[in-house]
Amino acid sequence: MSALHTISGSPSSGLLDSCLKLICPGDGILLIQDGVYYGCPPYLLNCVSRDYAIFALREDLLARGVLSKLAERIDTVGYRRFVELTIDYDKVISWS
Amino acid sequence: MQHKTLTFITRQAPYGNNKAKLVMDAALAAAVFEQQINFLFMDDGVFQLIQNQNAEFILSKTTSRALETLELYGIEQVLVDAASLQERHIAADDLSIPVRVLKAEEVRQLTANSDVVINL
Repeated sequence: MSALHTISGSPSSGLLDSCLKLICPGDGILLIQDGVYYGCPPYLLNCVSRDYAIFALREDLLARGVLSKLAERIDTVGYRRFVELTIDYDKVISWS
Repeated sequence: MQHKTLTFITRQAPYGNNKAKLVMDAALAAAVFEQQINFLFMDDGVFQLIQNQNAEFILSKTTSRALETLELYGIEQVLVDAASLQERHIAADDLSIPVRVLKAEEVRQLTANSDVVINL
């Protein structure tokens, strides 16, 4: 069963490291709230295998002024796609 | 009134929680009493300085506008830790207000020479 991992804390929270302990092939990562800062210094996501899709919520990026700095491999999504993702994956695991 | 040197260290990103606002409010309150104030952005606190924020997208208030009030309240020592900027790939051009960039040793001296350090 696939999972969408939502990360809502900034890199200093260490949430991505915790998430990576549980992540399985076929899972995806969605950066929301302060989690979107993980996409800004792009190297922070180098530890995430290319096998995993990474998304970030556009509204949270715009609010924080960091959309233009985003790592290339990240797909930005709006709220509608956010909801669709929660349906596309079998379950949601929330990291906060 | 006796003058003291107060250093406020803000280490949290904006919007995720209210700590950034708490430090700012405390510093502005202290400035009213004409104390010597240092205001230092460190760790995730440097994200507060990024320009072109617009919190309307998350139905919130854009906090970077409040940064301009520091100068209005007579807080001249607005400082940022160089390493925190560097780690996050934030350049001087990315910042919304003028700040003085401090090296690690200068940051250490700043707190060493302060009577009170408030750190959130």
